[in-house]
Amino acid sequence: METLVQMSFYSFAASSLALGVASLSYMLYAVGRVRVRRATMTTSTGTTVTSSTADFLPGNIGAGQFGTLLTWFGGVFAFLAVLFRTIAAERLPLSNMYEFSLMFVLAISIMYLIFERIYGIRHLGAIVATIGFGMTLYIWSLPADLREITPLIPALQAGPIMTAHVSSAIFAYATFAVSFAAAILYLVKSKRNIRWLPSLEMLDDVAFRAVTIGFPLLSLVLILGSVWAHDAWGVYWSWDPKETAALFTWLVYAVYLHTRTLRGWRGNRSAIILLIGFAAVIFTYYGNYFFGGLHSYGGV
Amino acid sequence: MAQVTVANGTPSRSPVEIMIDRIWRFFTSVRVAVLEITLLALMVLLGTLRGSDAPQWMANAAPALQPLVDSWYAWDVFGSPIFAILLAVIAVAIAVCTVNRLPAIWGTISAPRIRTSKGYIERAEVKASFTHAGTLDELRQGMESIFTSRRYRFFTEQVGNDLHFYADKNRWAKLGTFPFHLALILLLVGGIVASVYGFRDTNFAVAEGETQSVGHGTDLSVELVRFTDDYTQEGIASNYESEVVIYDNGQPVEEGSISVNGPLNHGVATFYQGGFGISVDLLIDGASGRTLYDESLEMGFFNFRGNPDAPAGLIRLPSEGVQVAVVAPDTDRANRPDLDTLQLQSGQVWVQVAPLSTSDPDIEPVTAVLDQGTPLEVGDLTLLFERESRFTVLQVAYNPGIPIFFIASVLLVGGLAATFYFPLRRVRGIIHHGAGGNTLTMTPLAKRDWGGKKEFFSMAERAGERFHTTPTIKRPDHEGNWHDDASQESDDEETR
Ligand code: HEM
Repeated sequence: METLVQMSFYSFAASSLALGVASLSYMLYAVGRVRVRRATMTTSTGTTVTSSTADFLPGNIGAGQFGTLLTWFGGVFAFLAVLFRTIAAERLPLSNMYEFSLMFVLAISIMYLIFERIYGIRHLGAIVATIGFGMTLYIWSLPADLREITPLIPALQAGPIMTAHVSSAIFAYATFAVSFAAAILYLVKSKRNIRWLPSLEMLDDVAFRAVTIGFPLLSLVLILGSVWAHDAWGVYWSWDPKETAALFTWLVYAVYLHTRTLRGWRGNRSAIILLIGFAAVIFTYYGNYFFGGLHSYGGV
Repeated sequence: MAQVTVANGTPSRSPVEIMIDRIWRFFTSVRVAVLEITLLALMVLLGTLRGSDAPQWMANAAPALQPLVDSWYAWDVFGSPIFAILLAVIAVAIAVCTVNRLPAIWGTISAPRIRTSKGYIERAEVKASFTHAGTLDELRQGMESIFTSRRYRFFTEQVGNDLHFYADKNRWAKLGTFPFHLALILLLVGGIVASVYGFRDTNFAVAEGETQSVGHGTDLSVELVRFTDDYTQEGIASNYESEVVIYDNGQPVEEGSISVNGPLNHGVATFYQGGFGISVDLLIDGASGRTLYDESLEMGFFNFRGNPDAPAGLIRLPSEGVQVAVVAPDTDRANRPDLDTLQLQSGQVWVQVAPLSTSDPDIEPVTAVLDQGTPLEVGDLTLLFERESRFTVLQVAYNPGIPIFFIASVLLVGGLAATFYFPLRRVRGIIHHGAGGNTLTMTPLAKRDWGGKKEFFSMAERAGERFHTTPTIKRPDHEGNWHDDASQESDDEETR
């Protein structure tokens, strides 16, 4: 068991490294090259005026492809990390911040690669892979004793319901990360029409598709969470801050969906709602640091 | 007879009618709905942050905000009338919206308008056209087979010299938002039903060997036979379990066990494992020799001051004007041993007999340590610590909202899946039959539907292959950016 836990950790380390390099490659690809041209003129009065113009050129396609390859590595190693740990613990690793952050790294790699494949665009990687890499940095920062496998406290032993609840949450957050990335690129593209970025229409669609996956998943999270709470604590809903934080996130995306389908809002405003939505996701994810309550894993 | 003449031919409306109309429009307006959901989100955010230190940080950063932050912490957002009113308004809005939209959506589904206008297609941002030299029938059949192979329905209508067509698929998914929004109302109804007709007792404590009645209008009572708690080698709780017998009207009706994720159901009530604790069986006699207390005192609802690991209990004896505080041995000696000032061993409890009201100067608090089985006089009382037992803390709940909740959950997820994964797709077109052959022009109703446009382009290309021509396809623009111009929007009436 010790060996498996170690192997899981080494796989995680490999995944972290791969995602780190992947984000750099994607950035090189998405940001493109900037060529600055300087012109110096001397005016009749003798002062020199320097003006510079920046030309944006598309990034290196090779860098983008390298990014994809490394994201695959990142995903496969995250999968191995989860797999080894699942074998060692005889359950999915979902019981503490170390474990489900590991699952998150896996989920974000999967969701990202799916979107990259469907839309055939790599620019989102510059943001999504960076979020994945940021998550691995967070995992590094966690106290090492979380890497030990500990048995679950009674309230967390809800088997399939708990597993479904937490994994839906992780996949929902991962898809929201994709829509966040699309929203950012949307805002960038609508401010400066950078030629090689995907079209606004496609970016809007990526964001919307991601929300159409994330929103039902988040609905499931709320439903399964309340079923679980009902079994463990006898209440469906106790207005616990972690619950209400998820509810807030859900409502933000409900606002997004309404404004998008109905009011024919221009993309910019929709994109800004998506930024707020992802901020809410982060707030919900790290809610444990702010709140006590049932979800603090402090015991019954 | 008086003649009512109305300017401009519109019938004059009474103030009541105008009122009703205004209210109806308020509830059907999606702009208002967005506002309502935003307000709800903001209130949820305020209520959420209340459970954290965030408001205090704000006050620390800007001390002027302190009074505001204090009232924020004091405000029970989710229990407030405003919150309830907002939920009610949203529920009504959803219901009204549904009723309001159903006829139009039903129309789209059952009897779509086939006829379109040349101008509409000409102005369309995305369209495809090609000419065809064969017969009109060939073209119609060919188009129909292209659409039906992609699971579209295909309708045509002859309008003068032209043949108008309309094709759609996934029309039923348009109804998906109804179960979804209905589910939201049901969740609220479920919550109301649960709180009006149900009950929940979170601190239902039963000591080993004792029987407690449930109350809340039921005839149920519960006896705790045994409580067990298991620990891992590391000392982490791995399971709590209460073995119980449930009585109905005094008759034993069910035996079973209750564990943390394994509640026990009987009749209307469901029993959940909450916590557990140690109880102390005490016998207290007064100065006259009369027995004042002979029960199992549940420890742990209080803690000994200064040592949170020492469970304590309190007995009030108003007839004597005193209260008896009882403290059991430290349950976790490894944790902060410095706080364990009483140093009790198992088989011992510490007691303090003190005046009920602290202002009573006549009685001095007296303390003593009781050994199990040995009676001791403490102040005016004689106390006997008979034995230590355990008690379990259960939650008893009756929730008549559960079936509603389940139906709502299924409708919610099912409705979302239908709306999102089977999007309604529509194409309109006109085949102009002229001397030189037929000209087909068509456009998708796919505003902000990238996938819909993609499908449209691929069908247009299929049509080109089939009729050996290269269709002229107008794509959004080379950047794929939108023109958010108003004319497009108002023409595209059906996407509203
Ligand atoms: C908390 C409350 C609400 C939530 C979570 C919610 C959620 C949703 C969702 C997820 C959709 C699907 C959007 C899409 O197809 O892209 C939707 C559509 C819609 N909602 Fe709501 N909604 C809420 C309240 C309301 C209210 C109060 C109204 C009425 C005033 C309303 C009217 C509509 C309408 C008309 C649609 C479009 C249906 C269609 O396109 O067929 N919603 N809503």
